[in-house]
Amino acid sequence: MRIETIRLKNFKAFKDINMRDIPSFCVVVGANGTGKSTLFDVFGFLKDCLTYNIKKALQGRGGFNEVLSRDAETRQIEIEVQFRLNISDTERLVTYHLCIEEKDRQPVVKREILRYKRGVYGSPYHFLDFSLGNGYSITNEEDFNIEDKNLEREEVTLDSSDLLAIKGLGQFSRFKAASAFRQLIENWQVSDFHINLARGAKDAAGYDEHLSITGDNLQLVARNIKDNHPDIFEKIKAAMTSRVPGISDVSTKDTEDGRLLLSFQDGAFTDPFIDRYVSDGTIKMFAYLILLYDPKPHPLLCVEEPENQLYPKLLWELAEEFRDYTQRGGQVFVSSHSPDFLNAMQLEEVFWLTKEKGYTAIKRASDDPQLSAYMTEGDQMGYLWKEGFFSGVDPQ
Amino acid sequence: MMQLVFFLEGPSEEALLKGLLPKFIPDHVNLRYVVFEGKQDLEKRLVKRMRGWCLPDTRFVVLRDKDAGDCVVIKNRLQGLCREAGYEDALVRIACHEIESWYLGDLSAVEQGLHISGIAKHQNKAKFRDPDRLANAAKELATITKRCYQKVSGSRKIGPCLALEGNTSGSFNVFISGIQRITSEAEHA
Repeated sequence: MRIETIRLKNFKAFKDINMRDIPSFCVVVGANGTGKSTLFDVFGFLKDCLTYNIKKALQGRGGFNEVLSRDAETRQIEIEVQFRLNISDTERLVTYHLCIEEKDRQPVVKREILRYKRGVYGSPYHFLDFSLGNGYSITNEEDFNIEDKNLEREEVTLDSSDLLAIKGLGQFSRFKAASAFRQLIENWQVSDFHINLARGAKDAAGYDEHLSITGDNLQLVARNIKDNHPDIFEKIKAAMTSRVPGISDVSTKDTEDGRLLLSFQDGAFTDPFIDRYVSDGTIKMFAYLILLYDPKPHPLLCVEEPENQLYPKLLWELAEEFRDYTQRGGQVFVSSHSPDFLNAMQLEEVFWLTKEKGYTAIKRASDDPQLSAYMTEGDQMGYLWKEGFFSGVDPQ
Repeated sequence: MMQLVFFLEGPSEEALLKGLLPKFIPDHVNLRYVVFEGKQDLEKRLVKRMRGWCLPDTRFVVLRDKDAGDCVVIKNRLQGLCREAGYEDALVRIACHEIESWYLGDLSAVEQGLHISGIAKHQNKAKFRDPDRLANAAKELATITKRCYQKVSGSRKIGPCLALEGNTSGSFNVFISGIQRITSEAEHA
């Protein structure tokens, strides 16, 4: 499953954008304040809508009027996400459309649609269509042989007009597209790694498969990989020893008072260093390896500026590891300010944001004939960026 | 001590050579790598870097991919730049079309390096008998390895496995023999 298009209307700085042909590994660059974090927050917003309701999702971002673009012509926030999904052995391009407005000063779901084409021809069919808390969904969507008129509609009234229909219906696996989209958004993860939270002894009682948003369960996840996927742990160790000078071994260590910590062996000394005393960059590199070698990748992962604290030469291979992660099933969005990281990117993987009259515009590197020509000639993306070929990206 | 200095267009070439060269370069030759950020960067800064080079007893090797360009034109241009910098004896070598062509010329090294199986048997297919003709070797390599090849990490793994003889890529063989020639010239000088 891969997100292919994101269309936004009146969502903060994005007054009207259409980000299309999104690859499974996608890097976004842009000056400070152009909206890289806002772009990732679309998923966070949808996740909050799904977990709670749209009112709470909006409140967490300052309320409807803050989320709505300034001077918006219509007072409606629209989010549309298209993704590829395999339904009954056929890959379908599914569209999820959400339109939010205010009614009696309360935010409501004006329209929520899930649609895709049933066949090669014809217009997309609405498998779920709700407005102001009322609507229908199709209960036998997997049966593609039956004609449109024989599809079974189930009329539903939601508890409240600020709830998403996919919140309830997405729980049932018979609503194939709705539940897939719900799962994608629910398992979306943004990595906002805090080195200080990752350090230190952690309560050893616990079991975590995935690295948390802040990385504060690094020790537990490392232990899980070490115990249950020793081959993967060996790879992580090998990467650490080749990238961090001096490191000859990494392990997890139980303390006598029932806590767990990481120990880093420096070949020159007998006793290992515990995680509290190793450098920020060492912890960060280890955390990325734990994140990216995850045996069960997140379907959707967003990482902001992975280059921070890391030695520039290591970034090329880090980028390759992100790409490997996507080969194993996840989709990754990365924002970056690093030409070294960009140098490892392919033309189709790069997007950049510019500000035009206060609003954000999005550019695709592969739409730019000059960049395409240089890349065919053997240039590197970060170098071309530094040379000023990402038009409009630099602060004016 | 002789310095053998490689001017390269990117880190994947460096990763490859670091695994490959120690297999046949004598220990008394010191290997150095100058890694540029792509082709324009290489051509733009080559003269400056060579001209300002301080160590004596240095032989330069300039390696770049042919990609979409014309092999002879590129080679002459690079040779011209080396001459301009005062190193007429620099060895200029072009990988046709890309360094991945060299890996396609030795599929058993790819198998061994990436720990995959079932591709070396394709070596006798027409396109792998003469991989230099393939315009898009990197894509071809990604496809046959089911995308487990990535430029830098893949080159690092495959480099030490490449055999010096029997590679079906002509540009690989010319590269190897060129290096062997200049190292033996240095020994007899």
